[in-house]
Amino acid sequence: MSSQMNNESSGANALRDNAGVAEVLGRTYSAGFITDIEMTGLPPGLDEETVRQISAIKGEPVWMTEWRLDAFRHWLTMPKPDWAKLNIDPIDYQAISYYAAPKAGPKSLDEVDPALLETYEKLGIPLHERAALAGVAVDAVFDSVSVGTTFRKQLAEAGVLFCSMSEAIREYPELVRKYLGSVVPTGDNFFAALNSAVFSDGSFVFIPKGVRCPMELSTYFRINAQNTGQFERTLIVAEEGSHVSYLEGCTAPKRDENQLHAAVVELVALEGAQIKYSTVQNWYPGDENGVGGIYNFVTKRGDCRGDDSKISWTQVETGSAITWKYPSVVLRGDRSVGEFHSVALTHHHQQADTGTKMIHLGRHTKSKIVSKGISAGRSSNSYRGLVKMEKGAEGARNHTQCDSLLIGKQCGAHTFPYMEVKNPSAIVEHEATTSKISDEQMFYCRARGISEEDAVSMIVDGFCKQVFRELPMEFAVEAKKLLEVSLEGAVG
Amino acid sequence: MSQPARLPLFESLLEASLPSSGIAWLDAARQENLQAFAEGGLPDTRVEAWKYTALRALGQRRFATVDTAAAAATVDPARLALPGVDGMRLVFVNGVFSAELSRLDDMPAGVTLQPLSQALRGDSEALRFSLSRHYREPGDAFARINAASARDGVVLRVAAGVRIARPVQLVFVGAATGSELAWHARNVIELAEGAELSLVEQHLGGDEANQLATLVCDVEVRAGARLQLALLQNAASGCNLIRRSSLRLHAGAEVGMHVLELGGALVRHDLQAELIGDAARLHTRGVFMPHGRQHMDTQLAIRHQALNTTSNSTWRGVASDRARGVFRGAIVVAPGADGSDASLGNKNLLLSASAEIDTKPELEIYADEVKAAHGATVGQLDERSLFYLRSRGMVLAEARALLTAAFCRAMLDDLPNEPLREHLSTLLLDQLPMA
Repeated sequence: MSSQMNNESSGANALRDNAGVAEVLGRTYSAGFITDIEMTGLPPGLDEETVRQISAIKGEPVWMTEWRLDAFRHWLTMPKPDWAKLNIDPIDYQAISYYAAPKAGPKSLDEVDPALLETYEKLGIPLHERAALAGVAVDAVFDSVSVGTTFRKQLAEAGVLFCSMSEAIREYPELVRKYLGSVVPTGDNFFAALNSAVFSDGSFVFIPKGVRCPMELSTYFRINAQNTGQFERTLIVAEEGSHVSYLEGCTAPKRDENQLHAAVVELVALEGAQIKYSTVQNWYPGDENGVGGIYNFVTKRGDCRGDDSKISWTQVETGSAITWKYPSVVLRGDRSVGEFHSVALTHHHQQADTGTKMIHLGRHTKSKIVSKGISAGRSSNSYRGLVKMEKGAEGARNHTQCDSLLIGKQCGAHTFPYMEVKNPSAIVEHEATTSKISDEQMFYCRARGISEEDAVSMIVDGFCKQVFRELPMEFAVEAKKLLEVSLEGAVG
Repeated sequence: MSQPARLPLFESLLEASLPSSGIAWLDAARQENLQAFAEGGLPDTRVEAWKYTALRALGQRRFATVDTAAAAATVDPARLALPGVDGMRLVFVNGVFSAELSRLDDMPAGVTLQPLSQALRGDSEALRFSLSRHYREPGDAFARINAASARDGVVLRVAAGVRIARPVQLVFVGAATGSELAWHARNVIELAEGAELSLVEQHLGGDEANQLATLVCDVEVRAGARLQLALLQNAASGCNLIRRSSLRLHAGAEVGMHVLELGGALVRHDLQAELIGDAARLHTRGVFMPHGRQHMDTQLAIRHQALNTTSNSTWRGVASDRARGVFRGAIVVAPGADGSDASLGNKNLLLSASAEIDTKPELEIYADEVKAAHGATVGQLDERSLFYLRSRGMVLAEARALLTAAFCRAMLDDLPNEPLREHLSTLLLDQLPMA
């Protein structure tokens, strides 16, 4: 039994001989198509002029242009980070086009290019009816400009502002100016600085004092035009006592060149506010030989600025060729709570270096980290986390659980947790395990007539349950399916 | 990545090059390592291996080289005695071999124990492999300077199948000489197939000894050999001790290690173990107890490279006053090292608002038939345990001392040498902040 198991779990190689499975292995990325609509954009290249042009195209005020330029100048002085356990081919930042937008600026959905709407249909994004049925407001970003926003009215009645970042800069400049860059400063890190200089669009959410957002907010990003890095900027501000749940999901069309994606997400929770941010990330991971795929270098950080606030990150990461992402929480307010729930799956030649940071500054702050890594094929999957208890973090607590599952003999699963404690009343706990799916588990399922593939997906689903439970219902279903699809061909 | 730091420490170490040894390959290796040190400089905290140990303050100091006369400082032989350790003894004072303090008579058959300086005068070729090493990592500055500047150390060999019953003692004394000294020692230890040895390494020092000491130790444990290693680090409070041990465990080899870090100012211990033979087993236990302004940094790196290898490591840290304890425990399971079973735990107590603990357990797994787990905690004594003791009439301070002692002492429980275990426990209790 055991030797048979070894053969089968050694993954794709053993299975390639099997014609039936070869078909499954060869299954192409289901969301991989390119919409053929005309793009206008800037030519490739990056200098101060590019930054000014982006700002000008978007009709931004002078302070915003200056803000971008500051970021750009800072970026020029920064070294590329090389500490992550990733092999990244050198990126030619001058070969990237930093702005692409659908040609005609649409004023309403009726004016939207039909080809674009068709794309959304293919992706199943419900812009009109289905959105209403699903009760989800959608701010769909197609490359760089928001093309349609629904449910604005219903949200407006509640006092919630939910719009594209460009619109926010035009309509609510004081709010943007007050909060933009206050969590992730322009010079925070190499990719955040780049984003600050050239970000094209993104979402802006503002939940006023005491308001419970009437629906789950959702944005689908989609990278399209070839060679166009997507640089979104998201800012969510929850005022005192407010509550919001935000969903972010991604798919990207298939292509062969690596595409750079450097987003920045900033969350601000004031006293008693709660923000829940969920992500399902399924960008093109490259083919089974590691050709192509998205570079996903994202800076996500939440600031529990007020007492008793709470920020919770949940992510399911199955896509991208390379992921470099550490959603963090700064626990500034007393008794504030930070959570991080993550499933990261890598297959073929994917690389992921992901995790979180919990910076405890306030008294009696709490954080909880649950990270599940699954590596298959020849991939490399690292958890990297920091838990920091500063001097003022009286009575603060952290618990971290970090498990890795290996499927196949050629993948790697790594864990790099950092714990820095300066307060004697704080408690930090970290546990990690690494194992493969045990022969006993497989035998149990097989003995009950469950096929090997179903058994694996069942066991993996169980392994991730703790995280899936945190996802909003629609996402939980999608996430489970995603793992199944992503693991196809990993085990028989 | 980082620019070489042209600090006084760096300059003073660079000036202290050795006279020719008369052995061409050794001179060449020393020269190359000196060159590497000159080019690489001292690591700053951007170098991952030194992230939590800043060398800024140390870097501002200058240390003189050892002149042999100064090294003959008086040391009371009674201080060297350890209960349960009655075998051969090799003593170095400020890095220089002291024949008077050593005990090398009645050497059992099959054992070679001599100072490196003597060994080099004999068959130096046998040492070539160890002493020709080049250190290439960005954090290797002190290994480089050691390779370039160590004039003495221990050469210990146990022949195949030889079992040494009485523990062998290696003592490194830092003695005050009126000037701030830098000294370097290089140990080469080899247990041949099936050999057995119990070894105690001891660091101690005089009160006024402000020093920088580096020690590099290569330990080769051949197939089926067994080594028990106890390290008692009780160096002078002014001693900066940078120590590296590299262990290689061949098939079926077993190493048990107990480490007690008590003394020193800035103390760094790199413990690197490679399990290169099938079914090799490594078992480590350690306690670091920085107090005052001490800084103790333990870096454990265990590499499983063969089938069915086992490593089990548990380390505890207690930081009080303004001290800082740093721990990194990295486990790598190399591709193909199926059947590896690796576990590592690090628990820490933080006893003061000005103390700090930084811990980082790491797993890097490249094989799938493995069991690997690690855990780390930083916190205080368990409230319920304290309550239990207090409800039985114990005052708070006493209850805390008792629990802290138990927390640390547990690391010595499986040290086979009983008299030594009791002695180490006493030393440990004496150092407890509330004792």
